This record gives sequence, structure tokens and C-alpha cells, in this order.
Amino acid sequence: MTIGLTHYLILSAAMFACGVMCMMLKRNAVGVLVGIELLLNAANVNFVAFARYRTGAMDGQIAAVFVILLAAAEAAIAIAIFMNFYNNAATIDVDRGATLRG
Amino acid sequence: MSTFEQYLAIGVVIPLISFVMLAFFGHRIGKPAAGWVATVAIMLSCVLSGMVFFRWMGLPESERTELTAGAARYTWAYLGTLPITVGVKLDSLTVAMYFMVTFVAGFIHVFSIGYMAGHSDEVDGVSKYHRFFAYLSLFCFSMLGLVISSSLLFMFIFWELVGLCSYLLIGFYFDRKYASNAAMKAFITNRVGDFGFLCGLMLVVLYLGTFDLDQAAVTFELASVNASEAPMAHTSAFAQDWMARAGPEAASTASANATRAMALFTMPVGFLGFGFTLATLMGIGLFCGAIGKSAQVPLQVWLPDAMAGPTPVSALIHAATMVAAGVYLVARIYRLLTPSAQMFIAVIGCATLTIAALIAIVQTDIKKVLAYSTLSQLGYMIFGMGVGAWTAALFHLITHAFFKALMFLGSGQVIEGCHHEQDIRKMGGLRSKMPVTCWTFFIGVLAIAGFGLPGAHLGVGGYFSKDEILAVAYDRSHHWDVGEHMPEWMDPHAPAVPHERREGMRLEPHGAAPIRAGHGLVAGASASAEEGHGEDVHSASARLPILQNMPPLPRGMFWLALIIAYVTPFYMMRCWWLTFMGKPRDHHVHEHAHETPMMYVPLIVLAIGTFVSSYLWFRPLLAHVAPAATDAAMVVGLDGAAEAGHAAAAGEFINLHAAHEFLNPRVGWSWLAGFLVAWLIYRSGLATAQKLVKLPFVGTAHHVLENKLYFDHVYDFVLVRGCVGLAKLCRYVFDALVDGIVNVSAALTARFASWTGRQLDMPIQRGDLGLVDAVVNGVAEGMFRLGDGVRRPQSAGRIRVYVMVAAGSAAIVLLAVLFGPQIVDGISAWMKTTAEAKASVP
Repeated sequence: MTIGLTHYLILSAAMFACGVMCMMLKRNAVGVLVGIELLLNAANVNFVAFARYRTGAMDGQIAAVFVILLAAAEAAIAIAIFMNFYNNAATIDVDRGATLRG
Repeated sequence: MSTFEQYLAIGVVIPLISFVMLAFFGHRIGKPAAGWVATVAIMLSCVLSGMVFFRWMGLPESERTELTAGAARYTWAYLGTLPITVGVKLDSLTVAMYFMVTFVAGFIHVFSIGYMAGHSDEVDGVSKYHRFFAYLSLFCFSMLGLVISSSLLFMFIFWELVGLCSYLLIGFYFDRKYASNAAMKAFITNRVGDFGFLCGLMLVVLYLGTFDLDQAAVTFELASVNASEAPMAHTSAFAQDWMARAGPEAASTASANATRAMALFTMPVGFLGFGFTLATLMGIGLFCGAIGKSAQVPLQVWLPDAMAGPTPVSALIHAATMVAAGVYLVARIYRLLTPSAQMFIAVIGCATLTIAALIAIVQTDIKKVLAYSTLSQLGYMIFGMGVGAWTAALFHLITHAFFKALMFLGSGQVIEGCHHEQDIRKMGGLRSKMPVTCWTFFIGVLAIAGFGLPGAHLGVGGYFSKDEILAVAYDRSHHWDVGEHMPEWMDPHAPAVPHERREGMRLEPHGAAPIRAGHGLVAGASASAEEGHGEDVHSASARLPILQNMPPLPRGMFWLALIIAYVTPFYMMRCWWLTFMGKPRDHHVHEHAHETPMMYVPLIVLAIGTFVSSYLWFRPLLAHVAPAATDAAMVVGLDGAAEAGHAAAAGEFINLHAAHEFLNPRVGWSWLAGFLVAWLIYRSGLATAQKLVKLPFVGTAHHVLENKLYFDHVYDFVLVRGCVGLAKLCRYVFDALVDGIVNVSAALTARFASWTGRQLDMPIQRGDLGLVDAVVNGVAEGMFRLGDGVRRPQSAGRIRVYVMVAAGSAAIVLLAVLFGPQIVDGISAWMKTTAEAKASVP
């Protein structure tokens, strides 16, 4: 069997679905962050797959590298927020983080 | 893939498996067992590498060459068109380093089990025991990976990994402030060096077009030969061999890259009035990595602080292996170094060995003394690399690894036995309490001091390796004359080279003419050789521009290195005597002192290793690989690779004998002199030393040295305070300028508003104002209520609900987009049928 674009797209869709489920179902903030990483990487797989099978140029890979970079920055900020959250609320359960609601 | 490569690769992976096991299941494996997992893993690697080592020793020269050349290379990925190759660099240097690392690491692991048994390793009630061994395993994996990497990129990756492990292990007691600070200092200082490494790597990729060490070296050499317009036939045997083996495709790639790489030699770079070529800059850039990792001046400040880590870590990472990786790196990139870059390396090494040795004299912490002596010895190695003593520097690396690991473990035993007392002023007389530690440590002291009997081939450790570095430095500084070492084609007075020989050396990889177009002299030489005349090869007697610049070593540097060879035995003897000899100075410490077999057995093994490594195996192995690693056209004449392709065993170069004759009476007994002075001063404790410090000049020197020559102060003043000062300046400017504009404009607006208000107030009646207010307030009130109503479902603060809504909406939109037409069609069809049904029913 040759691996084609479809396979990558299915993999990406599956990863995306897992990521969304993870974000919906995890109450641990770090779990939610992991879900976000899954989403981003699902998008990365798409980028690279399309670049490889459609355009043949490097733009997809470049976009993926940017996404990775952003994901790293985002994770750093998110974890800093979690730390503060933990300092204030002694938990990182996202459902408990509703104090800012008006 | 030969069995050798397989064994080495498996040996790298075993510690990784151990790391994964310990990282994920370490807390379940438990306290002593986790240590044994890591120890068994590295011991297995050691057995594998031992099998490789001894089989390799038994192989004849030709088979080794075949294996080195035949090592597999895989293309891992493409970066654009640049292939990233993976492979095992299999040569005698790899085999020797690998065996040394696994052997030393194995016994340090055993020691660690004993060491950690007596250490509290809990933070907030969670045991860190398994974490320690997980880090050690990760380190072993990274270090071995670094040793066998055949590509600069992978070297860099493993380079960073060992740096990470160093950071993690220095900061192992991260609940202690000084340890976590030391870890950060080590990491950040290394980043400075690695930045240079990265720049060098970029130049390599940009101009040489490859990550592969061999290909880069060959491309570099071809470029240098081209740029100097020397005949092509004078490339080294290594390059010719590589071109012949690599196949036409790789050979033509290298040739094409070499044409581009000529810019490295022709493009001058100016800096502060110094002019040098880009090639030199590339070499210096790569060497910057070694400055950081091997803690050379000016980045030496992290290594002494790194002693905050557990002592086995100091022994393994900060004495035997990782800090020596810088020297290993220089050895690997040796073919990419121009003479100017080598001179730079020599200067850095010389500065380090001097400064560190002087500071070591005044240290009172047993680990700090060892740390500075490590720095000093690393300085010797780097200095050796710089002066061209390739073999000697690596030989010193190997012997040093054994005896320094031995001494560090000895100090660990002392510290452990004395309840974490590290101050040698409070020790003394430990000889009776820990005899094994005392005498194995003494063997280490002998080795670092270069104990030996000149004349008789009898000595240990530094007596062979350090003296050889000094010998090469002597030759380079006193008898260095480019003419003497010049290969004959560069010398206009040399007799004509027989035509057959040149023919044999001519570079012709499978008919692919290397870099012929556009370079008149090369093309001419090549063409004439083909026609069978060949006499005008000598018209290309212009020296390589890089060789023209090759300076002899300044004599001062040689003398400095020689004098420090007297200081080394002094401070080591001082340390050993104060710790183990004399009378106990602190009875509390002395009473509790003890030693345990788990810890002194590795000491004995390493002491034996110190002797064995000085005499057997390693020196010949390294000498065997030296020609292939150094005999590029540009380092011709250095280190015994006297002529391209005709190198005798490196190190056995022309004047080594004379150098030893010069050195033996001058440095052969330095160990005795240093020992005697130290013994005279410290035989009766600290009293004499305290009197000495009271003398005016000595006191000042002592004060300066105690402050480590103010390196930390200067860095603190320039970098830390500089940064803070800059930040303050920025804030001041921001406050004054930006806030100023904002404040002024706000004040003006307020003034204007009140002025207009006063102007308008006159004609407007109170009632109008009431109406306006009512409308305004009414709208606001309405909006507030609307917002409040909308807010309730929207701002419940339940993130997961948001995600659910967003995902659900997205799904609905997706369905609508994908199946919208069908749904609409379906509905209309359904309506049509119901309408028809209705119509049909009367």
C-alpha cells in the first residue's frame, strides 16, 4: 500500500478530534494544554502533507516550523498562567477557574 | 554496517533505555534498585565497547582503514537540498574515547550507589534517588552519542544534550539556592559558547555545504588548495582516499562545494584591526563551543561553581568526560582549522592553564582545588591542540579522565566520610581513617604531577602525556620554521618531484575533474600532468596563503606552560597533604571519618586504570588515527604529518627527540620540586602558609587569586549590572518621554474640554440637559441590561463548555458546508413529494 495524502489527512483529522476531545474532557489545565498541542500538531501534519503532495515547495514546512515556535511560546505562557493560577487557587482544575466571570 | 558499528550503536542505546525506564518507572523501582538499573546499563555498554576496543586493537592497519571508510552513512532528512546524514564515525579515536567513557562512567555509577546511599535525596517528601540515576543514564547516552557522531549537526545535538544533563545534575539539589544558581550559571555560560558553535556550524553549512565531518574536511581542503592555487596533486592522502571512495556523485558535490568554499579563504574579515579569513572565523566559531564546554578562558567561570552538584557528577561530567568533549570537538574539526585559528586556540589554552593553576593554589575547598586543576589540565589539552600536538592532547585527555575521575571520587569519599566537610583546612590526618582513599588519591596526584623518572621509561599519567604536549610546543616555538617543515612542492629550491609519484597522487575521482574550470593554475597543473610534462607544477610554488601566515609559537607561551608544570604538583601536593597527612586539625571531622567498600573499590579500579592508560593501548591507537585526522594540506608539517599523504605516526615528528632532550632536565623533575615546596610549607599544618600570606607581595597576590582574578566581579559589573542599568535607562526614557507626551496631551485635552464646556454652557438650558442626560442614560441602561442578559450564558467561565460550543458549532458549519446542498435538495424533494401527495388526495 502506498501512503498518500489521504492517509495523512485522516491521521491529522484523528489527531484533531483527539485534541478537541482532550480539551473538552480534561479538567486538568495541563491536560487542556496537551489537547491544544494535539490540535496544533494536527494542523502541522496537514501543512506538511499538503506541501509534500501538492505544492512540493517548502512553504508548508515553514508554516509548520512557525506553528511549532508559536506552540512553544504559547506553552510557556500558559504554564506561567497555570503557576499563578495554582498559587491563587491551589488547584489547576479549569472548572474552578471561573472567578473572573462577571 | 559492520559489527563494530552495531556494537557501538547498541552501546549508545542501552543507557537511553535505562533512562526511559528510570524516568517513567523509577519511583516504583525504588532506592537501591534504580541505581543498579543504570549501573548495569552502562556496564553492558562498557562490555560491548570493550569487545570493540580489543578486537579493534587486534586488527591490522589496512582493515581498520577499510572499516573507517566503509562506515555506513544514512540520509536522515533533507534541509532543502542539503542532506542531513546520520552515521557512526568509526576510527581509533572513537574506539578509544568510547571505551574510556564507558569504563570510567561504569565505575562512577558503582561509586554513585554508595555515595547516594548516604545522602538525603528527598525534596518535599519525594525521593529524587531514581532521578539522579535517570540523569546519569541520559548523560551516558548523550556523551556516547557525541563520541560516535559522524556529522557536526548530531554532534551539536548531543552537545546540547550533555549540557542539559550537566545543568540537571549540577542543580540536583535544587532546593539549595547555590546549587540552582550554579546550574543556571553553567547553562547560560555554555549558551555563550554554543552561540559561537552555532555560527561556525552555519558557516560550515553555508560554504562547505555538508554536515558530514569527513566531507566538510575534504571540501575545506580542496577549497584551500584551490584558493592557494597549489597543484591539485598536493591534497592529502585522506582527501584523495575519500574522493576515491565516495563515488563520483559525492566527489563532484564536494568539488562543486569547494569552488564555492574558496570564498572562505579569499574573503577577508577585519575585526579590531586584525585581518583574517572567513575560514579562520569559522574555525574560531566552532572552537567557541569548546571554550564553553571545556570551560576555557574567558568562559571558565562556570566550572568551579558546578562543584555544587553531587561529587560523582563532578567526577563523571565535570572532570572526565563532558568537559573534555570540547577537546574532542577540536580534535574532530582539526582539519577545518587554519593556522590562525590554531594560534587562537593555543592562546586560549595557554591563558586557561596558567590562570586556573594559579587560582588552584589558594583554594581551600577540596572539590574546588580539583575543579581548578581540571581547568588547568583542560587548558593543557586545548593548548596542545593549538600547537599541533593532536595525539598528545588526546592522550592527555584519556589519562586525565582516569586520574581526575579517581581524585574526584576520592574527594567524594572524603566528603562523604567527613559528613559533608569540604574544607581541607579542617581535615588532615585522614590517612589512618581512610587508607585506601588516601593512597589511591596519591596515585592520582602522582599522575597529574607527571611523576616519572626521566631517562627510564617509567612514569605515570601526565609524565607521558603532558610532557609530550610540552615537547611539541617546544618544537613549535623554538625550531619552527615554515621552510623546514614545508612540503617540497612549496619550496622553490627543492629537487623536482619524480613524475611517477605526482601521477600517483593526482586527484582524479572516477574521471570527474575536480574544480578545474576557472582556476588557471590548477587547471594548468592538471592538464600538464596529463600531457606528461609536469615540470610547471613547480611554478605553483606560491605558498598557501594560510601557511604564509603560520607563525611560530611565541616562546613565552611555551615557557608559561612549562612553569605551570611546576605549579601543578605544588597545588596537588598541598591538597593531598592537607587532607590526608599531618595531624588532624578538626577532631570532630576526624572522629567520624570512615570509608566504605562500595566507594573505594571503584577507586582501586580507576587507580589501576591510571597506570594502564599511561602505558598500554591508548597512545598507539591515537597515534594511529592522527595522520587521517590531521594531515590536511594546510596543517602539513605539524604534528608529524610531515607531508601530504606521507605521514609517519603523528607525534613522532622530526624534532620530538631533540625536544625531549631539551625538556627532560628542565621539566622531568618538576613533580619532585613541586612536591618538595608543598611539603616544606604544609608539613606542619597551616602555620607556615599563614605566615607567608602576611608578606606584602604574597598577601596581595593571595587576595587577587582568592577573588579568582576578578572574573566574576567583572562579569557581574559589565553584564549583570550593565543589563540592569540598561533596563533602568529604558524605563527612565519611557517614563519621561512616552508618559510625558501622554500626560501632556491628556492635560491639554482636559483644558480644552473645560474651556469649550464653559463656552457652550451659556446658551443651553437646564431642561435640554435633562433630556440629553435621560437619553444617554437610557441607552446606557438598556445596553447594560442587554449585555447582562447575554453575558450569563456567554461568560460562565467554563472553558470546557466554550470548547464544546466552538467544536459543536464548527461541526455544524462543516456539515452545512459539506452536505448543505444535499440537505437542501433532500428537503425540497420531500416537500415536493408531500405537496404532490396532498395534491393527489382530493
